[in-house]
Amino acid sequence: MPMARLEVENLQKRFGEVVAVDGVSFAVEAGEILVLLGPSGCGKTTVLRCIAGLERPDRGEIRLDGRSLLGLAPEKRGVGLVFQNYALFPHLTVAGNIAYGLRHGRYRLSRQTRKKKVAELLDLVGLSGYEQRKPHELSEGQKQRVALARALAVEPKVLLLDEPLSALDAALRVELRRELRRILKERGTTSVYVTHDQEEALVLGDRVGVMREGKLEQVDRPQELYERPRTLFVAQFLGRANLWPAQVLRKEADKALVAVFGAQLEVEPLGPLSSSEVLLFFRPEWVELGEGPFLAEIEEADYLGDHWELRGKVHDFPVLLRTTGKPSQFVRFRIQRFLILPNASFLNHS
Amino acid sequence: MAKASHWRLNLGMGASLAFAGLPLLFLAFSFFLPLVNVFFFGLRTEGRWTAENLRTVLSDPYVRHLFSFTAFQALLSTLLSFVLGFPLGWFLTRYRFPGKSLARALTLAPFVLPPITVALGFFLFFGNTGYLNNALRAAFGLREPPLRLLYSLWAIVLAHAFYNAPVFARFIHAAWSSLDPSLEEACAVLGVSRPRAFFTVTLPLLLPAIFSAAALVFVLCFLSFAIPLSLGGARFATVEVGIYLYARVYLDFSRAAALGLVQVLVTLGLAYFYVRGSGFFGGRQGRTRPVPTLRFPSRPAHILWILWLLLSAMVFLGPIASVVADSFSRPLGGKPPGLAWYRTIFSPEQNPFIGTSPLGSILVSLEVAGLSTLLALLLGLSVSGALRVLRSRALEALLMAPMAVSSVVLGLALLLAFRNPPFSHLPEKFSLVLAHGLMFYPFVVRIVRPLWEGLTPSWVEAARTLGASRARAFLTVEVPLLSQALLVAGAFSLALSLGEMTAAAMLSRGELVTIPLAIYRFLSARRFGAASAMASLLILITVAAVAVWEWIGERSLRAYGQA
Repeated sequence: MPMARLEVENLQKRFGEVVAVDGVSFAVEAGEILVLLGPSGCGKTTVLRCIAGLERPDRGEIRLDGRSLLGLAPEKRGVGLVFQNYALFPHLTVAGNIAYGLRHGRYRLSRQTRKKKVAELLDLVGLSGYEQRKPHELSEGQKQRVALARALAVEPKVLLLDEPLSALDAALRVELRRELRRILKERGTTSVYVTHDQEEALVLGDRVGVMREGKLEQVDRPQELYERPRTLFVAQFLGRANLWPAQVLRKEADKALVAVFGAQLEVEPLGPLSSSEVLLFFRPEWVELGEGPFLAEIEEADYLGDHWELRGKVHDFPVLLRTTGKPSQFVRFRIQRFLILPNASFLNHS
Repeated sequence: MAKASHWRLNLGMGASLAFAGLPLLFLAFSFFLPLVNVFFFGLRTEGRWTAENLRTVLSDPYVRHLFSFTAFQALLSTLLSFVLGFPLGWFLTRYRFPGKSLARALTLAPFVLPPITVALGFFLFFGNTGYLNNALRAAFGLREPPLRLLYSLWAIVLAHAFYNAPVFARFIHAAWSSLDPSLEEACAVLGVSRPRAFFTVTLPLLLPAIFSAAALVFVLCFLSFAIPLSLGGARFATVEVGIYLYARVYLDFSRAAALGLVQVLVTLGLAYFYVRGSGFFGGRQGRTRPVPTLRFPSRPAHILWILWLLLSAMVFLGPIASVVADSFSRPLGGKPPGLAWYRTIFSPEQNPFIGTSPLGSILVSLEVAGLSTLLALLLGLSVSGALRVLRSRALEALLMAPMAVSSVVLGLALLLAFRNPPFSHLPEKFSLVLAHGLMFYPFVVRIVRPLWEGLTPSWVEAARTLGASRARAFLTVEVPLLSQALLVAGAFSLALSLGEMTAAAMLSRGELVTIPLAIYRFLSARRFGAASAMASLLILITVAAVAVWEWIGERSLRAYGQA
């Protein structure tokens, strides 16, 4: 089983005046799936193309098992790529597509071996019997599976996936991402997966890196990332967030005291802060409704089946809450869990 | 992602330059040098630079007549083509009827139909003893042929219209069917009558297409050769015919060259006008609803259309049908011929009318067509590749330059070049191979290049991440994806080469008598049966080429539409 450790160090790439990737560093352990998550245009695809050798980075280092990949042609890297639009060869059958790398690539296998391998891979992606179809005769989901099988056929040390599910409809996406994770884990392929879909990132990734404007903001396990975002952007981009202005009243060795809208909250010890003005961050589900120091006036209530999502104001500041019961106009609540984030010059309410 | 950066990375700058350099080098040696040499011929006498040749040519009343007549007949031909072509374009857009796609394919046919077969068809159909006059005489009991068309300006203009009305029909049909039908619907809602809506909305929107078709047709008629040569006689010679007469009949190369120089300047001006004109036409609208069509025939008023279509069919199909009919029916030695005329043209014996054996003529034509098609495909592919890597308008102008030079001038350039080393070491037929290769590779570029540029870069990138080298990715991904386009381009180039007569007449020597020239010589000697048999052969080849274009061409484009 090909297993490899991928390291990316201080990667930089600009297109003309635009800095697409600005000093990105991360490592992917052997057999691990790393998801790069970010809005479109954040540079995540460029990172992939640099690793694949389709773009030449301006600066930085890319190593596979300690050996630098820079200067190697794409075909010599042992890095596979699943394209966003699949890029299936329209003139070849499904079998021809999957066997392409086995026929024209580094290891040129005999016809019989290729045939066996193709059958094996089609079985893996659940498309046995589709050998002779042409790409235009396949559904989007089937194209996706063929693209994956084709990339896996050459047993790349690292598999890169560029938004492979973005062209599919929602239900199929949910089904395929589970299957994708099973296949990648089964084969133990070191993978880097790019997406802008946060749910996909959380489900698929062993770890998730959040990118913004060419920079990697935070790399962590999904749960860690969701529960302990380290920057404002990560907190807002992943899941729903409430962000309130707060003041640090006291810092002590084992705890600190923070004031929010007249209430005082005891928090874990804080690191060094440039200002006593901070942000209180909490997710809607970290709140207990009924009683507590805060009173929200609800302005909108959206019914979402298993719960209601409530938008309201506390002291003229927006708040997002959730409840399973019937919402009323005024809601009293207590914040059970929260984080203190350094304040930013402006607040972006999502 | 920037396409250029992707290519540079995959190819390397040096390789890109080599890619562009090869076709450029070839053109420099086989096109630009011979052409410059023609201008030297025109501008030098006895080793001195002089404008004397130019002056004599320009002050010669015959030459002035040549130019004014050429322009006049081109203008008339353009007008008549429009008059015949516009209703056809309208009909194709507005009505649906069985066999519509066949009709649309037929509008392409004249483009590849050899002019000499059309000239022959006009003789046989419109001639004084042609099918039409005979039929009219029989119908009305006349003694004299009622229509005297041959050896007049009208024969030339009518034959040109035969060629170019379908060009108008195609341009107008393409523009009209891409118009948004809601525009006319808006007029109706605003209370505007249908004729008024046509003149105030539809026609203005079609004007760019009409102008660009008109410019193209004018240039084509201006540079016409075989039709004025065989239908007009000496009195109605065009500039192309004039250059040919100076070079091949009077053997006055200096005058031919001076006339060629003037003609190149005129055609460059016309080409500029055409490029400007087609710029207007360039921006196609986004995909809109298709223009609604009416079933045909479905109303009593359609009888007018049917009459018009019958008239058109007579002009378009009459001459061609006459050629085929004549090859099977013209008596040979007082007896019905059966296949005798075909036996004549496949005879390996020397034929006094054409100066070589008919079979030899067919074989040399096939050889020239095969080799020049190969050359056109190689040149077309490398020029397309070069223009894909290096996007520069100047480079494009250089690489497509042979398009702007008339066939007679190109023939003259190669005729002069093949008199001296190193070309004189090559067999003579290579002069024609070179001429046809240079004339037809721009068509290859026009067919292949848009398709190549439309291929998503991710196909090549996918091949490379699967372990294929750049060269292997080209051979296993790009070439197969382009193979259908290459096949179409090849079929086209083959058919064009087999039917081309201008360069063939300029470069003919001894055994180098191609099929169109043989037809012309049979025609001049009034050996209509043999001419018809050979022309039928060409028509068959043309039909096959158009069939390849319509069926393989359009289908492949559809199947590969961004999978």
